[in-house]
Amino acid sequence: MDHTNQEALVSIKDLNVKFKLRGKRLHAIRNISLDILRGESLAIVGESGSGKSVLMKNLIGLLDKNGEIESGAIYYGGKDLGQFKEKDWQGFRGREVAMVMQDPMTSLNPLKRIGWQICEALRYNQDMRGEQAKRKAVELLSDVGIQEPERRYKQYPHEFSGGMRQRVVIAMAMACNPRLLICDEPTTALDVTIQAQILNLLRDLRNKYDLTMVYITHDLGVVANVADRIAVMYAGDIVEIGTCNEVFFSPRHPYTWALLSSLPQLGVKKEDLFSIKGTPPNLFQGIRGDGFAARNPLPLAIDFLHRPPYFEISPTHKARTWLLDQRAPKLEPPEQIESIKEI
Amino acid sequence: MFLYIIKRILRSFLSLFLIICIVFVLLRQMPIEGYFPSNYDRLTELELNNILRNLGLLDPVLVQLFNFLKQLFTEFDFGRSIRYLQGRPVIEIIASKAPISFRFGMIAIFFSMPLGMSLGVMMSRKKSGAWDKIGTGYIVLLQAMPAAIYFVLIQLYGSSLLGLPLLYNPEVPRSLILPIFTMCLPNIAFYALWMRRYMVDEINKDYIKLARAKGVPNTTIFFQHVFRNAVVPMTNTIPTAILMTIVGGIIIESLYSIPGTGGLLVDVIRRQDNPMVQGLVIVYSSLGILGLLLGDILMAFVDPRIKLHKKGDQR
Repeated sequence: MDHTNQEALVSIKDLNVKFKLRGKRLHAIRNISLDILRGESLAIVGESGSGKSVLMKNLIGLLDKNGEIESGAIYYGGKDLGQFKEKDWQGFRGREVAMVMQDPMTSLNPLKRIGWQICEALRYNQDMRGEQAKRKAVELLSDVGIQEPERRYKQYPHEFSGGMRQRVVIAMAMACNPRLLICDEPTTALDVTIQAQILNLLRDLRNKYDLTMVYITHDLGVVANVADRIAVMYAGDIVEIGTCNEVFFSPRHPYTWALLSSLPQLGVKKEDLFSIKGTPPNLFQGIRGDGFAARNPLPLAIDFLHRPPYFEISPTHKARTWLLDQRAPKLEPPEQIESIKEI
Repeated sequence: MFLYIIKRILRSFLSLFLIICIVFVLLRQMPIEGYFPSNYDRLTELELNNILRNLGLLDPVLVQLFNFLKQLFTEFDFGRSIRYLQGRPVIEIIASKAPISFRFGMIAIFFSMPLGMSLGVMMSRKKSGAWDKIGTGYIVLLQAMPAAIYFVLIQLYGSSLLGLPLLYNPEVPRSLILPIFTMCLPNIAFYALWMRRYMVDEINKDYIKLARAKGVPNTTIFFQHVFRNAVVPMTNTIPTAILMTIVGGIIIESLYSIPGTGGLLVDVIRRQDNPMVQGLVIVYSSLGILGLLLGDILMAFVDPRIKLHKKGDQR
């Protein structure tokens, strides 16, 4: 797919998000710019605390109360979501952007029938009520692969298994008829066989409804299956972004290397699984230079002094590392990732 | 459901039976001096034995227990008071006092439950908002201050400044105002505290976030999801709370000379009026057990996850 001349649905410009925590300020998003293209499937990967969920919560106005956008803008159809007040979000959430959350066991109200919960979404986003809403809800349940939707419609969440509940959550998101669907670790709480089913379902729905999707995940296996583009986040910053093939087969940032090295590979016998040493930097303090330098096995001197700019490798591929500077020594990526031939 | 309730009731009777037996046997271990008025020292051995024999206290404990139970189950006879109101049937004494406490309790609940729960809801709407601060201040004040102090203050200032009757008088309805107001204060705090807590528990759950993400307006979320779900744990505490109120407040009833059952149990235990103690224990235990049972049954009505008939078979 050619991504260069696709129109951006969401355009994030120089976004800085900070959280107030016990009198200190935590810099969770450090000057991120990102376009989410219409119709694409973008995966945001990174370890816990890298800011991937925080970044996406801005798109739906669900940032925790102690967080605020310090500077920058998020454009969606000409409007800046950063300036939205609570009443502006009404009619935007759901209709434009919907969300699937991580844990299906807790994301449904345990005391309401699932039919009621889907109808609630239909009512506020598509103005459907009564019989019409019911028919649509049953249709959606059958769309997400739930057998006997008529009977299931009347049941409560506790009568569903984890995978089935996630299907219901997805049906609920689809009931909003959104343009952008954010899937926040949609398969993390599910077992492996169910994961594949859910990912297939999401891919089918994307084609059927022409959705733009954003996957937030730390599971590179998920990414490989569903994403067109991958953004790698580290310490509140996007360190590398490119198409799926570019990031998997010619990664440039040492953090991406490390991340890919720690991917377990089937059929490859090695002593130990690679793990990244150290911990992510403290976001309460300002970060000098490259955030990953301290954990990088082969850092450059300049990594500790100046923050690297983005270097463009191709029109779709860029990375924030001094290794791409002309004066930098030519470092080969670690051999583990050389063995990644197919995904 | 029906079967489950029958089973629960049968089990409740078993608990009640055990409670009666234990209390009965324990009461017989009390020192015998307690059965006599102040003239204990001046009575001869013979006179002492006569009195004890008349009270039926010289038989072996198990024989006494058997006789008591036989009377209780065949004739519904709780015995007669031996010290409190000598010779009057226990059931008569309780029946003359309980309705008064019951009426006070019910009126107090009628006001305090809706008020307290609304206060709790208002408090939970905005964390550290005005309502939350006022409510927290109110609850902390009531919890921190010894109840007797503000009870007395309300009685004194209520009667002197507002001209309300100082004591309870069944003929004057206005005399109900002060004791009921006093009774409501801690109850409102109780309901507000728990309601707020359960509301806050729900607000922080994932499905609330998802409901917001699917575009449901905040007010709707607040009532249809948060409030509805916070009611579930609340229903479990309500029956017991109601029963506790009905049993009567010791301090309030004595302050306003209300002839209710508040403080009666302590009184009869001190005077070693065994039949009275047994009677009250039966009444209070039944109420307590009933409260728990009601709480569980109500839960099954408000929470679809609880299916009593299914679980009943396994228990």
